[in-house]
Parts: sequence; structure tokens; C-alpha cells
Amino acid sequence: MKHRLGIYIVLSLLLLALLAVVSLYMGVYVFEKHSIIDVFKGIIYNDGSIDAADRFVLMDLRLPRIVMGILIGSALAVSGTCLQGMFRNPLATPDLIGITAGASLFAAVAIVLGVYIKPYIPEVFHFSFLSLMAFVGAFLTMILVYRISTQNGRTNVVMMLLTGVAITSLGFAVMGLLIYFSKEEQLRDLTFWNLGSLAGATWTKNGILAVIITVAYFFLINKGKALNAMMLGEHDAQHLGIPVERIKKQIILLTALMVGTCVAFAGTIGFVGLIVPYILRLVFKSNYHLILPMSAIFGSILLLVADTISRTIAPPSEIPIGVLTAFMGAPIFITILIRNRNAL
Amino acid sequence: MLEAQNISYAHRKFSILENIDVSVNYGELLVIVGPNGAGKSTLLSVLANELARHEEPILFKKKAFKEWGDKDLAHSKAKFSQSNSHDIPLSAKDVVMMGRYPYFASIPQKKDQDATQKAMEETDVAALASRDYNSLSGGEKQRVHLARVLAQLDNEVENKMVFLDEPLNNLDVLHQHRILHTIKKFTQNGNAAIMVLHDLNLAAQFADRVMLLKKGKIVAHDVPAAVFTKEIISRVYNFPCIVCPNPVNKNPLIIFGT
Repeated sequence: MKHRLGIYIVLSLLLLALLAVVSLYMGVYVFEKHSIIDVFKGIIYNDGSIDAADRFVLMDLRLPRIVMGILIGSALAVSGTCLQGMFRNPLATPDLIGITAGASLFAAVAIVLGVYIKPYIPEVFHFSFLSLMAFVGAFLTMILVYRISTQNGRTNVVMMLLTGVAITSLGFAVMGLLIYFSKEEQLRDLTFWNLGSLAGATWTKNGILAVIITVAYFFLINKGKALNAMMLGEHDAQHLGIPVERIKKQIILLTALMVGTCVAFAGTIGFVGLIVPYILRLVFKSNYHLILPMSAIFGSILLLVADTISRTIAPPSEIPIGVLTAFMGAPIFITILIRNRNAL
Repeated sequence: MLEAQNISYAHRKFSILENIDVSVNYGELLVIVGPNGAGKSTLLSVLANELARHEEPILFKKKAFKEWGDKDLAHSKAKFSQSNSHDIPLSAKDVVMMGRYPYFASIPQKKDQDATQKAMEETDVAALASRDYNSLSGGEKQRVHLARVLAQLDNEVENKMVFLDEPLNNLDVLHQHRILHTIKKFTQNGNAAIMVLHDLNLAAQFADRVMLLKKGKIVAHDVPAAVFTKEIISRVYNFPCIVCPNPVNKNPLIIFGT
């Protein structure tokens, strides 16, 4: 803990800002003005120096998408880190233990059946219906996985992963059934969930995400010490004055909320919660006091870079972002498996 | 300092402890001994407030555990567990520093660093401070955790209590005695300790009082000289022994197999 967390955070935030600016300029559409300051000055003063097309691409397409990448990347990475701390295993990530599948399962049901249910629920909830359903899916899965895999504070890793496999395959089955029954427009939505994309970014969604992330981080981001202590075992953590049960409840509820919302807005973007903590562990060992806040920033960096690549590498079409993260994540998954071969 | 009446504990209807009364006075070192499966570790867990119970509350410094705040309690009592985690990918010093978690919010202060250093010297692990915890041997890991427990209770609070579950397993003779002397010194300042031990002769040498358990019941609970008699020990352990005065310090000396 002699590391200087503050400096690391400032440096990585600078890196993130730099990457965000670079990403703003990458894409099929090229802005007329090439200086970022000129462009923003024009937009803020609204003096007509920026033409409508530039303005639209910047404010309604690229910027919301970049912001969404930053928010979702961060939320997914922090969820992964928290779950790993709670389950005391580097393989406990929202996608591998089935939380993402549970969320998208409920989201898919919401899309297809939503048409029939919507008349019966108050209008205010229509907009958040999808995110609510995704949250419920994530939450129920989380409780199921925890109940099945953890006894007396010890997690059976094999049970944890297999429960994830079971829920993921249930998700595929339901998804297949829904695709079979769904109409043209719903079909497009469903495909989107499976592959994951930030293309649907809007300022409203970003606002909701920002609120949820702020609330979740308020409770979670300073839990590094507690997660470290939980490596000793839950009883020993309790002897150190850590309210273990309360922290576990917070983690379950808040990561379900974050993962659910991310899935509702961007579909299944896998492996972020696995890749980011893995890389941070290589540098900082398993010190959650450092890797928890750092994962909030590096999650953003990872997803921002991945999304920029996904929308620029094969113009004019896009490569689904989930494909890119899976290409990075799967080898890391295998590496962790090999390292833990004896422990599993 | 610690008073518990009528402790019973069962796991899936299999009774582990039956009607045990314990009270520990200020400055007392109580050692719990007994053959395998006597319920020693379970009793220690119950006393240290690890297992949920619904009967009469245990009084620690005249207050039930429920009435204590998390942090205050962590400043007054600590426990060394037998089943220490083997996989903690941190340095040994980081693990010892966990003992100071009840004292600082985010960044360890000077006194936390000092307490950590002092505790590591006490258990002879200062030289291992920057080593990976996972690369240490069993005995070294154990000493790291003992240092963590010592660091946790390094404060100004009067009358603290430490629970130790077989702290001497895996330790060589030198370190066994060093740890016991450290604990003895701790209890002589008005603090108390409850310790589970297997080695009866060490118990006889260091304990103020001894509790002998068998099959979840108290067989004897008294000063070492009254508990460690030929009749009681050979009956409880089901193995012949003789007891004679230790030529050095006059404590009972138990020799088995004769």
C-alpha cells in the first residue's frame, strides 16, 4: 500500500481523456475543422461556425457513444472486480457466472412479451421496463449462483462456473425460442443483445447510467480494504471489524443493478470484468485497495478502445464489440484456468 | 472479562458442545486442551462470536457482543484462526497490515506502519516483509497471521482479549516459545487470552488455568496442577501416562506411553 494511488488515478484519467479525444476524431465522417478547441468553441458559443452535419455527428453520434463506452466499460470492470472479491476467485465475472446471461434473458423476454405487458403497467415505467427486467434477471441469477456455489463462506469454483454455464445455456434456449416467435423488428433487437453494441447510445441512456454508476460507486469504490480482508476468510474479516454480510448484500444488489443496466442498453459485452482486473493484478498483485478504483478507469479505457476499433476497422460497417472483447478475454480465461489448474 | 453460561452447540443435530460455562478474568491465560473432536475449536469460535447463537448472550467486558460497534470490538478483541487461507496474492507485509484495517480509512498512518513493523519483529517475520505471502512455508504463513493479530491489538485500549486456535502448529521450538512468551506478556498487562493447544506440557508451563474438554463436555477446569494429574489425563486421552514435577519450574510434566 506504499503505492501512490492518487498519482496512478490521475495518470490513467489523463490517458483516458487523451484516448477519448482521439476516438472523437476517428471514424468515417471527417470534421471540417480539425482542432478540438475550435469545434467545441463553435458548439458552445453556437455562432454558426460549425455546420449542422458536424454538429450532429459530434453531439448526437460520437460523443454519446464515447461517453457510453466510458460508463459501461467502467461499470462492467468494477462489477467484475467486486464479484471476484466476494467469491474470492479471479474467474468470478458477470459473464462467466451467468449474470449477464440472466440479465439478457429477462431483457429478451421484456422485448418480445413487452408488447403484451405494456398496456397493464403505468406509462412512466415503459421507458425503464427493459432495464428493470434486466436488473431483475441479473439479481435473481446472482442470488441463485451464490446460494448454489457458496457454503459457509467458501466458494466452490467449479459449482460457480457450472451454474453460470447452466444459466447461459438456459438463456440460449429461451433466446432461440423467442427468435422463433418474434416479429421482424423484435428480431433485430434480439440480435443486438446477443452481440453487444454501443451504437444505441443516447444522452438519456447515458444520464441513467451515470446516476446508477454514481450511486453504486458511492458504496462500492472504497471497499478495497474490506475485499482484501475477505481474502483471509469471512470470519477473520469480521474480526477485523468488516461488516461482511452487509458488504456482500451491497455488492450483490449494486453489481446486479450495474450489469442489468449495461445489458439493457448495450447488450452482452463479454469479458470486460475478466480482462481489466486480470491486467491490474499483474501490476498491483491482488490488492483491491488499488485495483478496485483503478478498474473503474481501465474498464473505461478498454471499452473505449475496443469500441473505437470496432467502428473504424472495417468501414463503413461495424464489427460487434463483443467479438473484440471476446478475442481478448478468451485467452485470458484460458490462462487463468491453467494457472489455477491445481486449485480447481 | 468474558462470561458465557450454558453454551451448547450442535451441527445438524449432532451435538458438539453441551452446557459449557466459561469465565475468563482480567490478566488470565486460559488454555483449552482435549483429544481430537472434543469441540475445542468450536468452543473458541462460539466464544469469539463467530457462530450465530440464540441462547444467553456472551458478555465481553460486561456487554453482549451485539451491543458492541464493529470497530470498537475490533480494537478490543482479535482471533487467530486455525484454517488460514493459503491463497492471498499479496506481500507478507500487506497481510500483516490488514490487522491495522480497523485503524485507518484509506492510507496507513505512521503508527500503523510502526505497529506492523513491531508485530513482524515480534513473530520474527520482518525479514519476509516483501516476500509473496503465497511463497511462504506453512510455519512462516502462520507467523505472518500471528503478527497480523498482534498488530490489530497494538493500541491504547485497556483489557483486550485474544483468541488463538492452535497457534503453535507448524512452528519450530524456538518460535513456539517466542509466541507463548509474547502472549504471556500480553496477558500480564491486564489483557486476557484463550488459546487452544495440543501440547500439554506447554499448557502446563504457560497457562493460568486449563480447561480440559472431552466430547463436548468439561472434564476439568482449574489451575494446571489440578487438571494435569495422572488419573485425569490417562482417562481422557485413553493412553497411559505419568505426571511428575518439572525439574526446572515445578509445573506438572506429563510423560506419555509409560
